[in-house]
Amino acid sequence: MIEYRDIHKAYDAPVLSGVSLRVDPGECISIVGPSGTGKSVLLKTTNGLLRPDQGDVFIEGESVFGSGRRTLERIRRKVGYVFQYAALFDSMSVYENVCHGLPEEEARRRSPEVLRRVCEALEDVNLEPAQILNDLPAKLSGGMRKRVGLARAIVGRPRIVLYDEPVTGLDPVNSAVVSLLITEIQERLKVTSVVVTHDIEQALGISQRISLLDRGKLRFVGTPGEFRESQDPVVRAFANRQAAADMAVKIMEEP
Amino acid sequence: MAKNGLRGLLRALGRATGSVGGHTGGMVVLLWRIGEATMRGRVSLREVVSQAYFIGVKSIPLVCVTGLLSGLVTSQQGGYQFTGSVPLYVLGSVVTSSVILELGPVMTAFVLIGRVGARITAELGTMKVSEQIDALYSLGRDPVPVLAAPRLIAGIFSTPLLVGMANTVGLFAGLVAARATMGLGPESFLYGARLFWHNWDLLYSLSKGLAFGFIIPLISCHMGFRTGGGAEGVGRATTSSVVIMIIAVLVLDALFPPLFLN
Repeated sequence: MIEYRDIHKAYDAPVLSGVSLRVDPGECISIVGPSGTGKSVLLKTTNGLLRPDQGDVFIEGESVFGSGRRTLERIRRKVGYVFQYAALFDSMSVYENVCHGLPEEEARRRSPEVLRRVCEALEDVNLEPAQILNDLPAKLSGGMRKRVGLARAIVGRPRIVLYDEPVTGLDPVNSAVVSLLITEIQERLKVTSVVVTHDIEQALGISQRISLLDRGKLRFVGTPGEFRESQDPVVRAFANRQAAADMAVKIMEEP
Repeated sequence: MAKNGLRGLLRALGRATGSVGGHTGGMVVLLWRIGEATMRGRVSLREVVSQAYFIGVKSIPLVCVTGLLSGLVTSQQGGYQFTGSVPLYVLGSVVTSSVILELGPVMTAFVLIGRVGARITAELGTMKVSEQIDALYSLGRDPVPVLAAPRLIAGIFSTPLLVGMANTVGLFAGLVAARATMGLGPESFLYGARLFWHNWDLLYSLSKGLAFGFIIPLISCHMGFRTGGGAEGVGRATTSSVVIMIIAVLVLDALFPPLFLN
């Protein structure tokens, strides 16, 4: 379970202003919202990559920001993180990249068991290990890089997986593949998932709940059905292309 | 007008002091964390060896070329100045002292700043802006033992050896140049070299190498970890890193004589 309690974060201007949200075990929740409203910032507070100015995050009851470095490292191992552009280590092969998702002591051993787990994680994301294991990330396509990033996030069998814009920059087919993988991993590994995305179709297709972040606050939290039927103009602009076009015209006409 | 100028100067001075303080503090913290990670055995020996290969072995050709040219130029210019005024065998002493006390360590440091320091900052900076450092954190790994510690340890061990190599090549080149251009035989050159030789000089030279081998990776890692702002930020961080490394090497070099030659 993840619990965000009263998260505040500001850079030059406030980005998050008192966000509180609870994500239940085994649930998949998507966070959508206009660009620059702090979706990725909120996601990065989950495993302590960003420290909020105020508030705390609790992972299975443990405080992320009230604990020491060792505890934080332990919490982080429970949480897999899929980065927007995969963030694979350029100088390392696919095998070494995925290996980094295993606990340090285990990864150093380079035993047949480690190889088996790396291959299994790559197969979980529909990649053929024999073909890419020794390749450097530069040799892979955008979709494959994303999937290797996903394999690295799940190889250590985390309880939670965080996805930061998982389909950004992908063609429709690869986007659909990644969406299917998120659902498959969710069901097979029984993980809790938080997906930050701009792709509302993806969010509606994979999530049990959707939350909409607007100007640093949660404007809506509900099921995909409730999202579609909401009368809130900002929610409607996200759920419906015509409403989005109408809102865009209104914004352009503002002085 | 004069008041505004003074205010501007004071403001710039304040900013510079703040910046120096920030960098110094950041490097002290980084050094502490490297020391802690090393003591706890969290640094991979394989990675240290790999970095030593990159910093040490791969720098050998360039270090030899700069050593060679330093020796050649010192010998020829010294010979030009001494001809007709000072006994030529003194050239052996001048070349030995110049190369061992100054040119060997400093030229090696400059080679390492360009070849190693700039690359480390650009590499870590790129990792930072492409979220690879965040990825390490998110996987429960601390980037300091994984990235910074092996580079620092490799720098500390490799640089004195490179300085020793630059010294040897420089002296040999000086000896050959003295023979070729001044007609000074190797026996006379070595006689001159021995005349003012102190064993301490060699230790002094290698100690400079040790200090430079410590400061170059430390600054470059610190600047790499602080990078932000995309590709432009990586360029800016690399340039700043090179400037800071050059100044740090020259300041350390200036501190050596009053500390160790009195």
